Amino acid sequence: MSYDDRVNARPSLNDESDVEEEALVNDYREQVNFEDGLSDLDRTTSLGGSQAQDLQAQLAAAATPLEYQATLETKFASYDNYCSLFHYILNSEGPVDLEVPSYYWAWDVIDEFIYQFESFCRYRNRVARTGGSVEEAQLLRENPNTWGCYSVLNVLYSLIQRSQINEQLAAIKRGDDPVAFAGEYGSRPLYKMLGYFSIIGLLRVHCLLGDFSLAIKTLDDIEMNKKAMFARVMAAHFTTYYYVGFSYMMMRRYADAIRMFSHILVYVSRTKNFQKGGNSYDAIAKKNDQMYALIAICVALHPTRLDDTIHSAVREKYGEQFHRMQQGGPEALPVFEELFRSACPKFISPTPPDFDNPALNVDPVDHHTAIFMDEVKNTLFNPTIRSYLKLYTTMDLKKLAGFLEVEPEQLRSWLLVNKQRSRQIRWVEGGLLEGEAVISNDLDYALEDDLIHVSETKAGRRLVDWYLRNLARVY
Amino acid sequence: MVAFDKCETRPAHIDVILNGLDRYNPETTTVFQDYVAQQCEDRSFDLYANLALLKLYQFNPHLLQPDTVTNVLVKALTVFPSPAFSLCLALLPAHTQPFPASSEAQAASQTSDFVESVQKLSRLSTLLESAQYTQFWSTLNSDDLYADLTADIAGFEELIRIRIAVEVGKAFRTITAESLEQWLDLRSRDALAKFVADVCSWKVEGDVVRVPTNKENEARSEVKSERVGVDMFGRVIRRGFEQPA
Repeated sequence: MSYDDRVNARPSLNDESDVEEEALVNDYREQVNFEDGLSDLDRTTSLGGSQAQDLQAQLAAAATPLEYQATLETKFASYDNYCSLFHYILNSEGPVDLEVPSYYWAWDVIDEFIYQFESFCRYRNRVARTGGSVEEAQLLRENPNTWGCYSVLNVLYSLIQRSQINEQLAAIKRGDDPVAFAGEYGSRPLYKMLGYFSIIGLLRVHCLLGDFSLAIKTLDDIEMNKKAMFARVMAAHFTTYYYVGFSYMMMRRYADAIRMFSHILVYVSRTKNFQKGGNSYDAIAKKNDQMYALIAICVALHPTRLDDTIHSAVREKYGEQFHRMQQGGPEALPVFEELFRSACPKFISPTPPDFDNPALNVDPVDHHTAIFMDEVKNTLFNPTIRSYLKLYTTMDLKKLAGFLEVEPEQLRSWLLVNKQRSRQIRWVEGGLLEGEAVISNDLDYALEDDLIHVSETKAGRRLVDWYLRNLARVY
Repeated sequence: MVAFDKCETRPAHIDVILNGLDRYNPETTTVFQDYVAQQCEDRSFDLYANLALLKLYQFNPHLLQPDTVTNVLVKALTVFPSPAFSLCLALLPAHTQPFPASSEAQAASQTSDFVESVQKLSRLSTLLESAQYTQFWSTLNSDDLYADLTADIAGFEELIRIRIAVEVGKAFRTITAESLEQWLDLRSRDALAKFVADVCSWKVEGDVVRVPTNKENEARSEVKSERVGVDMFGRVIRRGFEQPA
């Protein structure tokens, strides 16, 4: 099935998730086969000498990871390779007619392009920070524009504009025919897919640079559901949810972050059987664990009932840490930090470091960790407050302060903080950045001078889910 | 409905830049800087536009104006509790180290006035976000540098007082006048009575301030029942048709 057939076939899938999941599973099988196919491609193209084959080699190279120990020269060469390839695709006279291996190729190219940008920036920063080799520092100093943030963003935005992908997606959202808005370039699968995955690429780049709101804003035209195009490529599906979830978390929208992580983790746990043996399995397994860690952090900061499968997996993977974070208090701090560091993206600094002052080049990961940890510290006593207030309907503030062995003034601050953090922006409809302020905690209270009035919103028993699951089992 | 990327007071020309690729154009830096100056004067606040300016600085460090950055940070303080301040910090150079781990680390990191200013403002942010309002005012008044940093922001202290009052209004039905005086840094009962009457329409009755009931300080218990829709049973019903017993 070609890409376009797929898009046209989509409406007939309707909302029947069985059919949808079946299709996703088939897609995944196809991808696994595709990855095998790519290695064949490498073999055939490496023999070639003519120009056409040269281009094929470039295409294949663009989607292939660099070796782990690649030298700086290789990294520079790889950058030049991307530049000339994208230049050819974007600036030839009219759309180029390229035989690309498959539409998964488009994802691999964008993914690898950004990965190399990320690792180059981190490498450059590390060389400047640690002193490292003098020759390398010199070489990096002389080439400040290689893997520059402006050129990387330029490539992504150009691909998006050329393919008019945002116009096409907006048309799909309205229920119009996207072809009418695709233009000369965007109607070709090559441009369309490169444009589409460039949006996901931008999401990732903005997040790596610490611009979390712009990262989410980038996805304005993409609908987050299983029918979205990115869901057809496992790695893209995964990446999108990870970065959107993470960005929400940094905007303190924990409920939305949990929703994102849960969605993808449930999906992955259902398709587990098809991943084993795939080339990308290790990478996915690692991101998978990272998302469980992030979900544990979010739930600790914003107590929520999780989906049963997710909850047991979190307990299995991070049981001890999860428990300690939920308890709060100063002992939880190192746990939060450790999990955050292990699960956050590898943040980068977009500009060349200061090679003359190693001390000025702080690792961007440290920077973002410190910012996040400040919020964790501010809310560290929320669990304590909640666990006490759950026991009472009215309570004297001074008495409670006595129990907790703190000054009444300190307790007033904690009460205010807990109350403030239980109000959160949560997405309801529209763009991903939109949302409504909701009370996200079942425990609420008000102070009448020093008397705390506690109220609790109880959820009635949830029967539908249980009923459906048991029905499915016997019937 | 709260939309992060919208702002009622945003002029049209700023909106155009934000929605186009000009948001990356170093030449628009001055436009955004003027806009920050305007926000400082007319007490409006446009986080999304200010983040775009910080991003331009992130990409073009030679354009960075320390005064404008600190003004953006001070403006972000005036909307606490919110992630605004941390989102701004996230776009600053990592060497500013807003939250140094120890006093030695702090001394080592303060290589410029700019870094010192960022760290001082971050301290204020921590105090506001952790609702330690009395300490906030004493810290603010402890160092002349703070007066310099907040000088450009019209009505800074009043904006902070209003935010604190709003937060108090959400959590309290009555509060002692003494506590509120300290939290708002109002030194006399008259000043307090005037402020709560003018700004919040609350009343001081003897030693307590009475906050009228609102949605937030009601704290009513309720039982939420599950939402049940026919669509949830779609699969079961379909099965029923597919496999007639």
